[in-house]
Amino acid sequence: MSRKKTLKSKGGSSPAPSSALPPAKENGRAGGAAARAKGGSSRPRPELPLNGAALPSRPSLSSSGEFYDVAFKVMLVGDSGVGKTCLLVRFKDGAFLAGSFISTVGIDFRNKVLNVDAVKVKLQIWDTAGQERFRSVTHAYYRDAHALLLLYDVTNRASFDNIQAWLTEIHEYAQQDVVLMLLGNKVDSTQDRVVKREDGEKLAKEYGVPFMETSAKSGLNVDLAFTAIAKELKHRSMKLPNEPKFKLHDYVKKEVRGSGCCRS
Amino acid sequence: MAADIHKKKGWEGPNGSLVPADGQPTERSESPTPGLAQGMEPGAGQEGAMFVHTRSYEDLTSPEDGDVASRSPEKGRGYQADQTSMEQISKDFSELSTQLMGMALDLEEEMRPSQEDKMDLSLQTARRDSARSEKEDEDVTMEAWRMHQKHVFVLSEAGKPVYSRYGSEEALSSTMGVMMGLVSFLEVEKNAIRSIHADGYKVVFVRRSPLVLVAMARTRQSEQEIAHELLYIYYQILSLLTWTQLNHIFQQKQNYDLRRLLAGSERITDNLLDLMARDPSFLMGAARCLPMAAGLRDAVSTCLQQAKAKSLVFSILLSRNQLVSLVRRKDQFLHPIDLHLLFNLISSSSSFREGEAWTPICLPKFNSSGFFHAHISYLEQDMDLCLLLVSTDHEDFFTVSDCKRRFQERLRKRGMSHALQEALRTPFYSVSQVGIPDLRHFIYKSKSSGLFTSPEIEAPYVSEEEKQRLLELYQYLHSRAHNSSRPLKNIYFTGPSENLLAWVTSAFELYVCYSLLGTKAAAVSAVNKLMKWIRREEDRLFILTPQTY
Repeated sequence: MSRKKTLKSKGGSSPAPSSALPPAKENGRAGGAAARAKGGSSRPRPELPLNGAALPSRPSLSSSGEFYDVAFKVMLVGDSGVGKTCLLVRFKDGAFLAGSFISTVGIDFRNKVLNVDAVKVKLQIWDTAGQERFRSVTHAYYRDAHALLLLYDVTNRASFDNIQAWLTEIHEYAQQDVVLMLLGNKVDSTQDRVVKREDGEKLAKEYGVPFMETSAKSGLNVDLAFTAIAKELKHRSMKLPNEPKFKLHDYVKKEVRGSGCCRS
Repeated sequence: MAADIHKKKGWEGPNGSLVPADGQPTERSESPTPGLAQGMEPGAGQEGAMFVHTRSYEDLTSPEDGDVASRSPEKGRGYQADQTSMEQISKDFSELSTQLMGMALDLEEEMRPSQEDKMDLSLQTARRDSARSEKEDEDVTMEAWRMHQKHVFVLSEAGKPVYSRYGSEEALSSTMGVMMGLVSFLEVEKNAIRSIHADGYKVVFVRRSPLVLVAMARTRQSEQEIAHELLYIYYQILSLLTWTQLNHIFQQKQNYDLRRLLAGSERITDNLLDLMARDPSFLMGAARCLPMAAGLRDAVSTCLQQAKAKSLVFSILLSRNQLVSLVRRKDQFLHPIDLHLLFNLISSSSSFREGEAWTPICLPKFNSSGFFHAHISYLEQDMDLCLLLVSTDHEDFFTVSDCKRRFQERLRKRGMSHALQEALRTPFYSVSQVGIPDLRHFIYKSKSSGLFTSPEIEAPYVSEEEKQRLLELYQYLHSRAHNSSRPLKNIYFTGPSENLLAWVTSAFELYVCYSLLGTKAAAVSAVNKLMKWIRREEDRLFILTPQTY
């Protein structure tokens, strides 16, 4: 069941879903309009400051009606079924989606405003579908993402083995300075665990990526993962002169909690 | 010419019925009310329809369509032996069942769900709630697996499993191998297998290279209808992959395991099969509108129309598989099948409830070679109102998302949110509003608009089993009315617990269910009253003024 990347639409072996729609059989109008729209597409929403540039003096209003100072795009990636949506729901609503598995269709966009050191940070979170057929859709959104949360499932070896492939993809499509974090999810299922924490740590170290283990079910480290990212992004964009430099790695190391009862 | 094809392809009736059929004036005189010309019937749009009227090129050329529709000689003879008069329909039915089942069945017994059926239904309902993984766990060697009412299998031409409604595909690979064996065995002789009828089962094959779709049903549906459902499954797969991609994959690698690309979509296909068993939209090949005051609907449509973008092709507002409003680009029509696939996609996942989803989707009847990009969101969390914006540009998420915001803003400014909410509170009307005492339920479809209306299913059809039985009765009437070799225009059917009437003209289709107490004469005269009521209420029950950008 290992995820092979041979069918990547980028290679041209299959038509990419992202390609603009060819016109309807009987009519050429749709295609023409699509091309026109493509030329003039303004990617970031007008209210979204480009590159998360800070506008503390003039608070903006997000679509949900909440004021915020800075906005960033965070993307959740990883194999199908590793718990991306569950992690997001836990973070956003503090609930766990128990029961049946519902796979995300395409990309799901949600907003959450966080308070980071008295600055309102709006995270626009893109929850992506892990399935192969959506790969080309998600590619298109990598380059706009300010941060990426890469997930694997500690009870599913294949999802961990695929992390390297995911990292390759990220390097190919995402911005150079994207904030990246590796998360090993589902640590509440101690019985079924097949990926040791050390394995995750080792891999993360190899790639110089901060790492933590999470559980969308128990809520372990979920808020921390998003807060850490929000802090890092906020520090990067605001660069206040008399503030000490924020180090994501150190912050994560200091704050992270183990899946056991005591602090690791 | 189109009409000729329509006659031949009985099973494609729901689709074909959008095509103007040849009205036969000689038969008209027998009708309870004078015939209505197409485009003038209640529910017909004033400025043309929202849906395609013509068959797509594929429908006209595909050989399989004709194959499926044309009946085997033995059966054709069987039908000719049938009695002709309307009063003989019930006798007819038992004869039909004799032919299909290979044994004489009492009519009453036939129409009443058997013990097994009941058990089956409970199994089905249980399954709907359960996770897919539980379905995968189902033991295919168990009796319970065999007892399912309708199995659906999809396999590749190499015999590889692609989808099974029940049980895991792996466990069924040998069964699917046998199916492919049957298909290829007949192909050697330059022949094609269409169906097998045995022991109360119908096994129906639909070949759509590079896929083979097989259904094994114990339902009372006709072979044509089952084949029609299989085609829906085929289109569902196309909507995820496009026809171009599907073919390309199998050209590159014949033994490709398509499940890899379809991963996570099983739920959508499962939902489609469940929906087809209880929603008459699929049978009618039409969309049902949410009843709503015409003024409100027009105002909402205008708001929707104003929130446009260059890349938008369709803006659709819906509530629980009922259409509220549809705005389309000029000269671009939606096919009912495509609309049904969109409805099914939305109803099959609760993940659209929050946030905004953005997903590629192919509308196979519109263009099976490319993807549209659909923006799916609910307007308010606790309101069952879903907005679907179909765009041609995959990079246009933010533009389209802004369209949604503008639409919501307009609704708010005009103070229509409240009125909309009120309308959503009564998604169905009661049949008692018509004022015909013996009338229990009806389905009325306006052919030119591609829309149908139907009241809430009320007592005595309370339980799921009873509701399904009512739909099965309609299915039966529909299959008789659209039978490829002997289409019928008027049917009066006296069943063990209700009387049914069907009336199919070139302009509309009407299926009515009366209580057992009424007489045939009363039923026929009530149709007049019902038609008048529909005419009076048409601006509430239908979308009469479809808008374009």
